[in-house]
Amino acid sequence: MRRTDRYRYPIIMTMLVVLHFTVRSHLGGDRVAPDFLLLALLIYTIRAEPGKSAAAGFVIGLLRDAMTPASFGAGALAHTLVGFFSSWAKAVFFAEHVFVRGCLFFAGTWIRNLIVLLVSGKLQSSQVAWELLVWSPLQGLTTALVGVAVLWFFRGWLYPRRAGAATLGVPA
Amino acid sequence: MAIRTDRYASRADTLLFVACVGLSIAALSLPPQWRDQLAQGLQQSVLAPFIFLQRQTELLAAARTNYDNVVAQRDSAALAAAFLPELRNENARLRGLLGLSARLGSGYVSAEILHQPEPTNPLSFVVSAGRHEGVRPLSAVVSPEGLVGLVASVGEHSSVVLSWAHPEFRASAIAQDGSVVGIAAPHGAEGPNVWLLELQGVLYRQQVLPGTVIVTSGLGGVFPRGVPIGVVVGPAGEEKGWGRTYLVRPAVHPAELSHVMILTSPRPAGADLRNAFTTPQDSAGTGQVPRE
Repeated sequence: MRRTDRYRYPIIMTMLVVLHFTVRSHLGGDRVAPDFLLLALLIYTIRAEPGKSAAAGFVIGLLRDAMTPASFGAGALAHTLVGFFSSWAKAVFFAEHVFVRGCLFFAGTWIRNLIVLLVSGKLQSSQVAWELLVWSPLQGLTTALVGVAVLWFFRGWLYPRRAGAATLGVPA
Repeated sequence: MAIRTDRYASRADTLLFVACVGLSIAALSLPPQWRDQLAQGLQQSVLAPFIFLQRQTELLAAARTNYDNVVAQRDSAALAAAFLPELRNENARLRGLLGLSARLGSGYVSAEILHQPEPTNPLSFVVSAGRHEGVRPLSAVVSPEGLVGLVASVGEHSSVVLSWAHPEFRASAIAQDGSVVGIAAPHGAEGPNVWLLELQGVLYRQQVLPGTVIVTSGLGGVFPRGVPIGVVVGPAGEEKGWGRTYLVRPAVHPAELSHVMILTSPRPAGADLRNAFTTPQDSAGTGQVPRE
């Protein structure tokens, strides 16, 4: 691991958070635009242990709940579950392929929305269907695309150098 | 940060996860009052810079949108301002027509000129009044400034007007004070003075000073007396024969008109319309006709 990795990783996380509060509202509808906060959490879970990922998810979810108090707690629970199981799945499946990570971002977004919808119980059945079958997949798709782009663009920052990395097929 | 690609959830991870889930459920079950207070506290502390950032971004986007709107409004205003002099001119002309109609009394028809993009449009043009409106062939066509031409042919609801610039146009003319008589005709279709009239057939012994106002004489019965034709500019060239020819700046240019009035009924003998029209400019020497 390079000494500068200590700074590069938080820079990317901070950039995603800033993008969430600045650019996101100009990237189309609120239900379709990529979720940079969730993306930051999912990228974090790639490297972090499941417990830390769950805690990070809880913090992010609680802060988001503070912005939308109508479903207070639902976001915290959803992000906790997504953070924990994303990190756990990463450890189990050991997936380094970019497509698998894109699928992880897509599934993480969709499952987060599913949990929030189920736990908050604010929407009617037809609205839930629209959310889960139309809007959530679209948001998951945009989030996955942005996530893959971020991983590709910052591949030198997000994938730390390790001895023998080239032989393992991990991008250096 | 430790890199552990072969990790699974340890007991500490599981405990942390369970704790987070428990806290989330606790947050879900908070009473609305506590929930709102907690949310408000987070908004005013941890989230404050992010909310500020988002608000500034929205303000910036709104400012950009407003800027675009302001630019669009400015462009529209500039475009409208570009047409303003033309609108003012047309307004003044219409007011002039109204004034002329009041002075003429009756026996006229207002008509709109149906301009065409051809270059010969000033020579002859179509107006939106015809037989149905009482227009007859050879009716005089005037504007508040003076003589425009005469009706050449009449349709049911439209007429063809020969303007004074048409090569076949002729009008019996006289100086405003009645001292000089001649024939007004177009100067020609070539050269720099193409849009001028000539006052032909002036007696050789008479000289007309520049600025003399020329009006119709009423002879011949086509045009009533006193309709301004133009203002004398100067001699047309070297005199030939027994008459003199003078250049006359016309009172009206047909291409600038949008509406005209067609005099439909014959005026009584001796009727003079001089007072109905505005006096042409450059009439400094009006009526001063030295005799040799």
